[in-house]
Amino acid sequence: MNALVPTRDGVRRFLSAYAIVAVLAAVFLLAVLISDAFLQPKYLFNVIRQIAPVGIAAVGVTFVMILGGVDLSIGAIISLSAVVSAVLMNGEAANLPMAIGVTCLVGMAAGAFNGIVLAFSRVSPFILTLATGIAILGITQIFSGGTARGIVSPGFREFFNYRIEGIVPVLSLAFLAAVLVGVLIQKRTLFGQYVFLTGSNRRAAILSGIPVRGVTIMAYTLSGLFGALGGLALLARSGVSSTMSGQGLEFQILAAIVLGGTTFEGGRGGVVGTLAGVLVLVIAFNIVNISGLPYHLQMVVMGLIIIAASAMYGQINARSQ
Amino acid sequence: MKLTKRLLMTTAAAFAALGLAGPAVADKETEERQTAAAKEAVDTSKFAKEGPYTIGVSAGYLANSWVVFALQHIYWEASEHDEIEEVIVTDAAFNPTKQISDIEDLIRQDIDLLIYWPVDDAAIASVLERTVEAGIPTVQAGGGFTDNAGTVSNAYISQWRLGEMVARNLMKDLGGEGQIIAMLPIAGTTAAVDQLDALETVLEEYPDVELLSAEYGDWNRAKAKQITENLLQRFPQIDGVFSPAGQMSIGVAEAFEEAGRLEEVTMSPGDEYNGWLKWVADNGQGGAVTFPTRAGQEAVKIGLSILKGEEVTRGTAVESEYIAPEDIGEYVDQDAPDDWWSSELPEEFLPKQ
Repeated sequence: MNALVPTRDGVRRFLSAYAIVAVLAAVFLLAVLISDAFLQPKYLFNVIRQIAPVGIAAVGVTFVMILGGVDLSIGAIISLSAVVSAVLMNGEAANLPMAIGVTCLVGMAAGAFNGIVLAFSRVSPFILTLATGIAILGITQIFSGGTARGIVSPGFREFFNYRIEGIVPVLSLAFLAAVLVGVLIQKRTLFGQYVFLTGSNRRAAILSGIPVRGVTIMAYTLSGLFGALGGLALLARSGVSSTMSGQGLEFQILAAIVLGGTTFEGGRGGVVGTLAGVLVLVIAFNIVNISGLPYHLQMVVMGLIIIAASAMYGQINARSQ
Repeated sequence: MKLTKRLLMTTAAAFAALGLAGPAVADKETEERQTAAAKEAVDTSKFAKEGPYTIGVSAGYLANSWVVFALQHIYWEASEHDEIEEVIVTDAAFNPTKQISDIEDLIRQDIDLLIYWPVDDAAIASVLERTVEAGIPTVQAGGGFTDNAGTVSNAYISQWRLGEMVARNLMKDLGGEGQIIAMLPIAGTTAAVDQLDALETVLEEYPDVELLSAEYGDWNRAKAKQITENLLQRFPQIDGVFSPAGQMSIGVAEAFEEAGRLEEVTMSPGDEYNGWLKWVADNGQGGAVTFPTRAGQEAVKIGLSILKGEEVTRGTAVESEYIAPEDIGEYVDQDAPDDWWSSELPEEFLPKQ
């Protein structure tokens, strides 16, 4: 048979791996039908920029979920990072490298804490990260005294909001770069492979000599790091606004990851899927918002779009088994 | 199960966040009725007692800068009175049930006055009544007027009047004609409902002004910006923006600026959120209609009057003031963070920076 003719099997495998991309295409088509704004590059890149904080953080959490865990503290880490970085910047450009560096370390420390406790105990990731999230919320309040008392370094926001050729905001490129890094880690590193193996069958992974504890700690640390980067992205996007700017984002992040094909059981999924899931969510929000529907109807329709997207994904996947 | 509970809590918190107390809906009629009710005298004789006094503050939440400033005003006013011995503060962190236990704890600590802002009015109604029955007067600080049995008096801010002032100034700056959008806080909160109603009431006098869309930005700068980006796509011409919350106004203005359409739009006054004041100082338009954090201070004054058996009414309005863009220099603090409020607080009472 000619190698270029798609076999039934090949199509199936393709669909299974990229089902979410097909769903994204369908949602995008719906969007274009509602408004031609979605055909304008400037608007599209804007949309990517809007979801950058959620998207960047979701890259890290994807690894945790492939491992079979979950990170409910990510919203709190984003809030803390946005506040800490602004306070450290203190309105001076010279503080920028230090502020970014320390913020990343703070995120990694939070993640590492999650990872270490989970690696060495039987606490469920759901409970632990829920608790860590609450604790971090408290720490943020104590650190800030209730007001988001920080001043962004001059140039920081301007740099990320600058549009190349008047169209492409740097922040959207930063998001895509984070996705690229995530994909590279997933597909090209030993760690990436270990995460999948451990997630699919923990027992087998231990027996085959995979350093499961180390992998766990690293996955959660990575999640914390990307959470910190997400907080920095939020700061770039909207400046210093409140001590709880990341609150509730963990739901959007988890929804995007699960929509993208990574499941709570672990062992499958990936960063590309997460990217598509994130885009489906933000396009759904913008479809209903730009359509001019009454506010409460917007919420209903957005929910329906997400359900439909998820159902469609399930269908494509089932057919490709 | 825990996920559902957390989801419910987050939703409740989101609805309560910054959504200060008060009846669910107010229109012009209700506003007038409340103003009349606020003037009713309170029988303070049953609360009168000798000092020294201990004040209990039951904060529904302390997680945003406005309430932090309001609390600092309470501390400040308390420091000016020797007869106030102590101020005990509890934080319910958006948990209505915790606020009930907080108030019970404060009663057990023998406070003489309770100042509060609620997470949920209905949840604490009965514990407030018990507080009053125990001879402890209660004063609500910063929300809308309420004349529930458990609230002796209010240092209230009328969202309707605030909305009206913002709308009228916008009409003036627009020259009475044009197409506008409205950016409101969390849908269903007193602030959102009253502000929209006030805007629509004022618009009845301006037939040449059209409200293109009312949106809900949830007091979230990034969300307000995102929604405005969509509005800019939908409407090729937007002449004015009604946005009483400065925090959201910054996001809205940024969206216009990035779209290259800032020149064509007139921003309404926002509140005295420092980040917004900085924007006004830079751009020379908009101004402010204040949402005074000194409501905390007023609450202490009212409380003291009650304890001294003096004449007090059911509600004292903490009036909003209009600040024109050209006068903003006196109020903005360029060295302070954005998440900060213009106030008269002395240095030693400002939140730590």
